[in-house]
Amino acid sequence: MKESFRRIFDVGWTNFKRNSYLSMGTTGVMVLVLVLFSGLMSLNYLASQVVSGLEEKVDVSVYFKNDASEEEIAKVKSDLESLGTVKNVEYVSKDQALNEFKERHAGDTLVQDSLAELDENPLQASLNVKAEDSAQYASIVTFLEGNKFRSLVDKINFYENEQVIARVLSISGGLQNWGFLLTMALALIAILVTFNTVRLTIYSQKQEIEIMRLVGGSNWHIKAPYLVEGGMYGALAAGIVTVIFYPVAFFISPKIESLMPGVSLISYFASNIIQFIFLLFFIGILLGVTSSFVAIRRFLKI
Amino acid sequence: MIEFKEVTTIYDNDETIEILNGVNLEIKDGEFVSIIGPAGAGKSTMLRLLTREISPHKGEIVLDGVNLAHIPPKAIPLLRRKIGTVYQDFKLLSNKTAFENVAFAMEVCGADRDEIEIDVPKILGIVGLGDKLKSFPHQLSGGEKQRLAIARALIHRPRIILADEPTGNLDLVNSYDVVKLLMKINELGTTVILATHNREVVNAIGKRVLSIEKGKIVRDQVENGKYVI
Repeated sequence: MKESFRRIFDVGWTNFKRNSYLSMGTTGVMVLVLVLFSGLMSLNYLASQVVSGLEEKVDVSVYFKNDASEEEIAKVKSDLESLGTVKNVEYVSKDQALNEFKERHAGDTLVQDSLAELDENPLQASLNVKAEDSAQYASIVTFLEGNKFRSLVDKINFYENEQVIARVLSISGGLQNWGFLLTMALALIAILVTFNTVRLTIYSQKQEIEIMRLVGGSNWHIKAPYLVEGGMYGALAAGIVTVIFYPVAFFISPKIESLMPGVSLISYFASNIIQFIFLLFFIGILLGVTSSFVAIRRFLKI
Repeated sequence: MIEFKEVTTIYDNDETIEILNGVNLEIKDGEFVSIIGPAGAGKSTMLRLLTREISPHKGEIVLDGVNLAHIPPKAIPLLRRKIGTVYQDFKLLSNKTAFENVAFAMEVCGADRDEIEIDVPKILGIVGLGDKLKSFPHQLSGGEKQRLAIARALIHRPRIILADEPTGNLDLVNSYDVVKLLMKINELGTTVILATHNREVVNAIGKRVLSIEKGKIVRDQVENGKYVI
């Protein structure tokens, strides 16, 4: 058995070396697929960081009518906090809102003078609600618009933020979908190229295969070296992409960080190095073996 | 025992041509049978049917009581290990030495290295190529190439040897050597089926002769075996 495996790997390796130009072409296409896949992973990471950054900034503010008492607002706050979808709720009283407003417009004498003219605080008490997930804001708003709180709530500013949230979600979804489609299309091309390479290999070794069949070589012994050859294309491509990807990530990471503070591409991929390399090799070898398998099934009738 | 029962094969391209037409035949274990006939008569087809490279369109081929049509595809390699094949064009791998050409036949059947190291020199010695282990096919004469092909055919200790025009590319002296070797193998109990169009070869063997023409066996000379028209 051990001898058998040794022979299968030897023959696979010999085929790989023998068709050097074809092997390089196939490996090249697989490198492209894996580079695209790595790029997609990076984009996904960056998009998720952008989305979570935006989500941090997005909340829903509920403004209460002037006749709503602090106890009633505290009751709304505790009801909201009991919802599983709510991350946190911050109460801003009328006075606090006024102070914050004054601070924000400290240098604006017109605003300061106008406020001094007023007899009473024109601002409303409010609750700033943060959801666990931006997709859950709609259900929180529905909850607040229910009969229970209708008499207390003056307005909810969710509808102003709703478009921003929807836009962020659609951009990140679009990136993932298009990236996925592009990767699939390239993977298909890689399968076709590997398929043709193995087919050419099979053709160039027609006599050898014929002899193997005539002397009673089992299907496994005849076919397995071609699967190994396909796997080798994938493994080599994954190795090349690993060697290229990390230095590139190291180089562009500071540039991305200057645009998006706190987002470090290299730390993300460095902390997941084992999983990432494993995934690259897994996808590469799977691509190679699958395409070889298809070619063998079609062209090696035992 | 090999039996052909009403075997018909058809070549179906633009027009349908019958290669074999209702062939009936019995070959006992240990026999030496020469099949003689002109090119296209169906000699090679009979041999290819026995290795299940092709299947008959009608009729049955039975080997040791087993209808070959009933052998599942996965078991075909096992059938082929019972049958050694030798061809006019030798079918040797030019980039491998004599040793490697024979070892290759064992490797693809999963034999281990130790077994190969013992069996290959032994079989090459039997066919008279004990001193040519490291020679490549282009360094061998036609007769030596054919003896190498016979060594490869013998490596699995087959019960049957099928030789398809084995002397077709050889001069008279080498042809005679190859025939002698096949007869020696037959004397050790292996069934040998030789397809040829060469009457001198058949007459030199002097054993059973089947004459085939246009896909039909027209003569079966069990006695004497001299092929004389």
